[in-house]
Amino acid sequence: MNWLKKHKLIIVVLLLVLGSLYVYKYTYKPHKLIENSIPIFKGKASLFIQKASENLNNWNSKIIVISGRVTSIDKEGITINNEIYCQFKNPKEILLIKENLLLQIKGRVIGYDNLLEEIKLNQCILK
Amino acid sequence: MKNLIIITIVLISQTINAQKYFTRTGITDFKASVGTFDPIKAKNSSTTAIFKVNTGDIAAQLFVNAFKFKIALMQEHFNENYMDSDTYPKAIFRGKIEDFSLNKLSTQKDFNLSGSIEIHGIKKEINTIVTINLTNNTIKIKGSFSVNPRDFDIQIPSIVQNKISKQINITITYELVEKT
Repeated sequence: MNWLKKHKLIIVVLLLVLGSLYVYKYTYKPHKLIENSIPIFKGKASLFIQKASENLNNWNSKIIVISGRVTSIDKEGITINNEIYCQFKNPKEILLIKENLLLQIKGRVIGYDNLLEEIKLNQCILK
Repeated sequence: MKNLIIITIVLISQTINAQKYFTRTGITDFKASVGTFDPIKAKNSSTTAIFKVNTGDIAAQLFVNAFKFKIALMQEHFNENYMDSDTYPKAIFRGKIEDFSLNKLSTQKDFNLSGSIEIHGIKKEINTIVTINLTNNTIKIKGSFSVNPRDFDIQIPSIVQNKISKQINITITYELVEKT
């Protein structure tokens, strides 16, 4: 007890430092990396399209891994099975891709684009 | 003869339809800081836009959850507390670029853009000027406008009210290519 009283100031300072460290860590926590995220769906792109058409809102911001055929390629991404557009995290990866290849892609679902009638993924990486 | 006319009509209508330009990866930025330590700004590089060059009609759509902030926590709060992106996943714009014609695009030119924007489930009319140019068959549209979060029923807690500006500045940069 005596010790506590004697070192009151040190303890208070220590608690303050720890507290602000915690607040700092919480405030500036890093973004979740797609590479380390566990996908909630893994399988054929055609199966995903079927599942997503039931209710796409359930898939909002979820990480998935899909496999399917590359049907078109542009500067920033590729289209899988004509219906899923995957925007790449690193567009350089696209240089390795050719049309008609069968690929496995990990990405984050951002929603159903009704202007172009396709499902949109971003932060995609090759698996 | 009749067949020939039908074929001609079909061909003509196809060329008219083909006059569409689009992007899937348009950039929409916003800034909402008032001199704070951490700037409140974010970038959406997944904006879809479709532009019919013969009529000037333009539609753009973005997913709120694709806005990227520097600070992860800010992004979380933006989606969960401010924009309710689970309930209102999209922001949509439908409008018209007035007096547009591809022939006018020999150099960079300013046009009037008007239309309605829907954010957080609420529609509002906007009017702004956009700069358009055409290079290598790519139409580049640039512009900016301001919105007030209150108009879209976006509640900002009083504790941070001084840090978020009343007028949020939105900038668009869309590079459209011809849709085949």
